[in-house]
Amino acid sequence: MTIRSLRFLAIAALAASLGLGETKPIPRTADGKPDLSGVWQSGGVSLYGEPGLATKPAAAPPVNPPPKREPIPYQSWADAKSKTYTAADDPDLRCLLAGIPRITSMPMPFEIVQTPKEVVIAYESYHAFRIIPINDKLQHPNDLVPTWMGDSVARWDGDTLVVDVTGFNDKTWLSGTGSFHSEAMHVVERFLLNSDDTITYTATVTDPKVLTKTWTTGTILRRPPNTRVEEYECNENNQDAPHMVKK
Amino acid sequence: MKIPNGKRLLVACMGLILSALPVLAHHSFAAEYDSNLVTLTGVITKVEWTNPHIYFYIDVKDAAGNVVNWAVEGYPPNTLKRTGFTRDDLKVGDMVTVTAYKAKDSSSRLAGREISFPGGSKKFAGPAAAQ
Repeated sequence: MTIRSLRFLAIAALAASLGLGETKPIPRTADGKPDLSGVWQSGGVSLYGEPGLATKPAAAPPVNPPPKREPIPYQSWADAKSKTYTAADDPDLRCLLAGIPRITSMPMPFEIVQTPKEVVIAYESYHAFRIIPINDKLQHPNDLVPTWMGDSVARWDGDTLVVDVTGFNDKTWLSGTGSFHSEAMHVVERFLLNSDDTITYTATVTDPKVLTKTWTTGTILRRPPNTRVEEYECNENNQDAPHMVKK
Repeated sequence: MKIPNGKRLLVACMGLILSALPVLAHHSFAAEYDSNLVTLTGVITKVEWTNPHIYFYIDVKDAAGNVVNWAVEGYPPNTLKRTGFTRDDLKVGDMVTVTAYKAKDSSSRLAGREISFPGGSKKFAGPAAAQ
């Protein structure tokens, strides 16, 4: 046996022990589509435990990781404008709807309910919900006015649910501090259910008024055990805003 | 997506490291709180099991013997419940020791990290500051 084949066997054994390359069939609905229904979550202490501490068993590496997150490709004027914002300007600090794709990465669960005609996503964070018709032509209504969560329509591309979102206002942020966008933003999300019972979530964001090219982001969604989506009335006792230090 | 196994493992591990970073839903931690832990002991005077964050208040004696009432912020109620920290863990009148981060604006506010309860048990109440 050569060193090369030994190395291959070692990598294969490691991959097998981590569940990589597993070909367990994914659950499907009666009409044969991947069954995305259930409670999902991107991150947070209730899913992964305390960072750096073994308060939860470590999750296996996902079989199909999301794309690496790139810096937001702002046009130079937009980059300068983005840097004028501070954390005190964050719309989420005032409990406003987080928009898309940001809401997917909130450290709180959401539930997907799926029928052959529509997909509903009910988010714990900010009590957001989306009712997404399945519409092969990705046809949006023609009476849209700009909103925080935009208008979503979806189609199946093989086993991937593709959600097309437009009709946004310009008041949400894409991710971190100052990551603003314009009303021209268009987001295409892809939900791919994997054999390791994860969803690879990818969002591509185009916004010709502020970006130089498409920006891609994504995350792995897992099923948080013994979790149901519960109430989160963010405005109940929101004390943080006056204490933010501008810098 | 076809990626060689070795590289895929590396990418997967990097994804895990990224996903282990502290995530706050509602506000920036660093814009409100210092990153150095302090330890304070005091008696719980009030509990607010509320969104977007829980608060409890403790009376702490300073070096001159004056009592200061500190507000201690924690994770949201649902998050705490899912990590095994219930509303009943915080009882008005109990003496607790809190490791926490002080507010940057010099108000008597803390971001609670770990609570030591009477009897010696400990639970995490809020996130660690990113170092």
